[in-house]
Amino acid sequence: MRARIVAAALLAAAVAVAASTAALGATSRAAASSITVWLQTDAQAANWQPIVAAANAQFQSQHPGVSVNVQYQTWGAHLQKFDATLAGGNTPDVIEMGNTETTKYMAAGAFQDLTADMSTFPNSGTWLKGLAASGRYGGKLYAVPYYAGSRVVTYRTDLFKKAGLKVPTSLAQFQSYGPKLAKGQPKGFSPVYIAGTDWYVGMSFVFDYGGGIATQVSGKWKSLLTSPKSLAGLTAYKNFFDAMSRASKTTDEAHPAPYNVYAQGQAASMIGQAWFSCCVKPYAGVTAQFVMPSHVKGQVMPGFLGGSDLAVPIGANKALAESWIADYTSTQSEKALEAIGNIPNSTALTNPSKVSERAATRSWFVPQAKNWVNVENGNILRNMLAEILTGKLTVKQAAQTAGDNIESVLNS
Amino acid sequence: MSSRQIPDHAAVAVETGALRSRRRHVALRVRLARASLPYLLILPVLAAIGVVLGYPLYNLVELSLQRYGLFELIRHSGTWIGFANYSAILHDQVFWHTLLRTVVFTIVNVGFTMVIGTLLALLLVRVSGPIRILLSSGLVLVWSMPAVVAVQVWYWMTNFQNGVVNYALTQLHLGDFSQHDWYGTTFSQLAMVTTLIVWGAIPFVVVTVYAGLAQVPGELVEAAEVDGARSWRIFLDVTFPILKPIFLILTSLSIIWDFGVFTQPYLLIEQSKLNASNYLMSIYLFEEGYFKSDFGRGAAISILMLLMVAAMSVFYVRRMVRMGDVT
Amino acid sequence: MTRQSGRKRRSQLVWNVVGVAVFVVMVFPVYWMISTAFKPDDEVNRLTPTWFPLHPTLAHFGDAIHRPFFWDDVKNSLIVVLVTVALSMVLAFLAAVSLAKFRFTGRKVFVVLMIGVQMLPPAGLIIPLYVVLSRYHEAPNALIGVIITYMTFVLPFSVWTLRGFLLGIPRELEEAAMVDGSSRLGAFVRILLPLVAPGLVATSVFAFITSWNEYIFANVLLTDQSKQTVTVWLSYFYGTSRYTDWGGLMAASTLTAIPVVVFFLIVQRKIAFGLTAGAVKA
Repeated sequence: MRARIVAAALLAAAVAVAASTAALGATSRAAASSITVWLQTDAQAANWQPIVAAANAQFQSQHPGVSVNVQYQTWGAHLQKFDATLAGGNTPDVIEMGNTETTKYMAAGAFQDLTADMSTFPNSGTWLKGLAASGRYGGKLYAVPYYAGSRVVTYRTDLFKKAGLKVPTSLAQFQSYGPKLAKGQPKGFSPVYIAGTDWYVGMSFVFDYGGGIATQVSGKWKSLLTSPKSLAGLTAYKNFFDAMSRASKTTDEAHPAPYNVYAQGQAASMIGQAWFSCCVKPYAGVTAQFVMPSHVKGQVMPGFLGGSDLAVPIGANKALAESWIADYTSTQSEKALEAIGNIPNSTALTNPSKVSERAATRSWFVPQAKNWVNVENGNILRNMLAEILTGKLTVKQAAQTAGDNIESVLNS
Repeated sequence: MSSRQIPDHAAVAVETGALRSRRRHVALRVRLARASLPYLLILPVLAAIGVVLGYPLYNLVELSLQRYGLFELIRHSGTWIGFANYSAILHDQVFWHTLLRTVVFTIVNVGFTMVIGTLLALLLVRVSGPIRILLSSGLVLVWSMPAVVAVQVWYWMTNFQNGVVNYALTQLHLGDFSQHDWYGTTFSQLAMVTTLIVWGAIPFVVVTVYAGLAQVPGELVEAAEVDGARSWRIFLDVTFPILKPIFLILTSLSIIWDFGVFTQPYLLIEQSKLNASNYLMSIYLFEEGYFKSDFGRGAAISILMLLMVAAMSVFYVRRMVRMGDVT
Repeated sequence: MTRQSGRKRRSQLVWNVVGVAVFVVMVFPVYWMISTAFKPDDEVNRLTPTWFPLHPTLAHFGDAIHRPFFWDDVKNSLIVVLVTVALSMVLAFLAAVSLAKFRFTGRKVFVVLMIGVQMLPPAGLIIPLYVVLSRYHEAPNALIGVIITYMTFVLPFSVWTLRGFLLGIPRELEEAAMVDGSSRLGAFVRILLPLVAPGLVATSVFAFITSWNEYIFANVLLTDQSKQTVTVWLSYFYGTSRYTDWGGLMAASTLTAIPVVVFFLIVQRKIAFGLTAGAVKA
């Protein structure tokens, strides 16, 4: 008798759960009445939101009855989430991808081919070469350039003035500033704050000396790290770091954030993205930027061109997605992005008077290999720099090990 | 036993026969109801778990026998390669080093957690009421911090530039820790992760053991005290046997959790410092399976991890399972 | 005052001091989080840390509360966690009673299953689980998918632990309270429930905290920001590649910890009550 009551209760509970499943059920992916856009959290900043809103408004005036559902993702988790949607078959219609993340997904066929519609995207004829390359694979277009970012030197004008120093025009000159800037400062003060394993800076030296990371030779990837030019670049980096930075030799450029070190008065300058100037509160009035000089006098050291692209995943509504992308990368939109500190996606829109855009005139990019992402995630280049700076290995040994690792990863 | 005369045998036979068959029917129904009761009680749990985990489990095994990368994920179909994934992993030096490192790591973490947790539970008993509330609330505050937040706070406290730990140690004249990098060596990194995990795991052990102590009958303890037994003996002879199932549970669960812990080491050691020399099993799984998008390999590692952790906890699990048979 | 009670008072004092010391050490990181939440930005990033906020401010809390979707996500978290805990406790208790007090074929298999399920590395389950839930159509992005997922994590642990608590109850206590004629289940529920109450409380606190703080699955299963839980909301404070707002993150974290503490304070009386009933004072 009791057992029957229990059984009935359990059955009732099961029915209740099933009913609530139906009731609480969210809307399944409705067809053409809305599109889903995945942007990164960077676009949630207060000065960025109006640009997104403007694009949405324009899209909705072109497609009345279609709403835009923008979802913001974090850099750390968005690829795993994207993989899950690929497995489950409910991908977003537009996705923002970092320019080093695209190759792997393009190679796997995760995106729709946009080549035929390239001319419908604003300024497609004058897209930044480096950025546009990250959206192409096998000769086809899979992702539209969104915005770029370069690295500059953010410095304390008051400290430079006090030491009687002008903006350096060569690497050697900059390096000579070290003792002058460090004079009178507490232990641990960095004339230039660079995190030891900041490979974006480290590799810039390599490219400056004419070296490289890897290149494809008849279908197979070969490392360039042990070439004499690359070794010269790595050695120059080690010398520069030893002279100018008191940062940890084994930690990366996010721990701690260079602008925090700078804001604490522990650095006279730092190398990093142009938007670093946002967060240097006590010294906001005495902060300016200049382009990192090359070892060749008068030239710009090539900088890593970071940035994002916008792609249309398979299973998405291609026409609507392309339309939204065109609205979001319109001339007006890109100019607004430039105004808040980014580099727009087209040379027709760039402004050479801006330091960050001048820095982008000489840039380098990672090898366009489908397994490149594994090299980054495996921290191969970072480990190499840490080994060189700590003296654990000589420059040649570290470059050899890293080169071998890179070759095995890229060719696997 | 009634005092009336012994009835006629035949009448009795007929009467008891009819009664017996009716009783038999009733007895059968009652027995069936009683027999099905335990199954009914466990059915909802089984259903909930089966419905959700049934397919993923099957899928996990299936994936482990296929080559399933990003390419295959998009097309929803992989290629059958039998045990190739397993063989590749078992031939990978990194796997064996990581396994050893994780086993040692687990033993250390579980050991510290159980010992400190139990000591604190006993402490909780001895302190007076207000202090007990203070301490237990504090423990729950610790427990309530999400792992990701605890990592951020921990990382920041041990920051080599302006972390409060370095600052305090230097101020206390315990040496010059002013720019000490707590994440410079593998040992140091894992030590930091251990401190964080043990710190976060203690409250659960304390609360559970404390709840278990509530089941120890006061009379037994007082009787032992009156006999003049020392607290250590009381603990061993009276408290511990009653707490045994709880200790077995906590140890088995701690082994399982600490072996497969992911969030804390992954976030605390920073993505940029993770490499084969400081991998723990779950990080190895994540890197091989998700970052490299080799889902088949990731599934194989998951199955292997399941087998490893089962092997590590079998002693405790068997005791727990057998315990139910004694009562 | 006899020598006996004097010694007792002194040892009580010693224990109390030890208790306070343990409290200070254990709680320090939490204190650090809360005090940072009250510090203005420049104090937060200072080279030499300050023990107390010199110029306390509520700005970070205000900023956190006004961030998009805060209240929505708190509501979602509360729904998910309360439903998970309530359902799981009921189901787990019944199953634990079955496994601990009845003998039936397959019992051992079920017991092993309860612990075996927990040995699956969660990381390995993310994508298969997502695929399963997306096949049930409405599940991804609906709270029910998250609730069911959390239940599968909470149930095995709860059953396993409650079974242990039930096994630990001395037989005499059970038998002493059994009344002739009442059905076995009714007796079990009426008698065992109060005896195992401390265990139930401990398990429910664990279930609450595990569900409340879970991040990985909530993050993958819920893409719509208005449907996310508060831990995913928290990740937006440090997920950007740009400036990490430490003060804001600490304030937000403090806010998310409050419901857990409230829940514990509500249920902890059960444990203390149980303790005085058992009266352990070794």
